[in-house]
Amino acid sequence: MSGAGEKGSTTKTPADFLKSIRGRPVVVKLNSGVDYRGILACLDGYMNIAMEQTEEYVNGQLKNKYGDAFIRGNNVLYISTSKKTLGEGA
Amino acid sequence: MSSNNPSQLLPSELIDRCIGSKIWVIMKGDKELVGTLRGFDVYVNMVLEDVTEYEITSEGRRITKLDQILLNGNNIAILVPGGSPPDE
Repeated sequence: MSGAGEKGSTTKTPADFLKSIRGRPVVVKLNSGVDYRGILACLDGYMNIAMEQTEEYVNGQLKNKYGDAFIRGNNVLYISTSKKTLGEGA
Repeated sequence: MSSNNPSQLLPSELIDRCIGSKIWVIMKGDKELVGTLRGFDVYVNMVLEDVTEYEITSEGRRITKLDQILLNGNNIAILVPGGSPPDE
C-alpha cells in the first residue's frame, strides 16, 4: 500500500503491467526453463495466460508451434515484453 | 507500528524504497536477476526493467537480456538493493 503511486509515472505495479501487455508480443518463461514466445491474448491475476502464434523454445531451440495455448499461472516464472516492442511501449 | 517508530522498517517498506533503482534478485535454484525495480505487490511479484538474467548451468552462466518483465514472486529468495551484478 505504502508505495504504489508515490513515485507517479515511474511506478508500475504487477497489476499495471498485466493491463498494459494484452495483445503484445511476449516471452513467457516457465519454472522448468522452457520459453514460450507469442502474442498475449489474455491473462489474469494468477498469471494464467492465453497465447496465440505460440512458439516453444527448449534450451533456446524451437521445438514446437501452437496456434493457441493456455498456460496455467503456477508454472510461470516471468512474463517479458519482447525486445521488438521496446519502441512502442515506454 | 512502523510509522510510530522511524527506526522500525517493514520489509515491504524497504523494497518500496528500492522502486526506481537497481535491485538484485536471487531466486530459489541457480538463477539471479538484476534490473530496475518498477513496482511490486503483496506477493512480491515484481515489475523489473532492463533486466539481465543469469542462469547458472553445468556449462557455465547463461545471460539473457530482457526489456520489461513481471517476475513471479513464488521463487524469489533474496532481494539486494543496489543491484551488484553477480560475479563468480
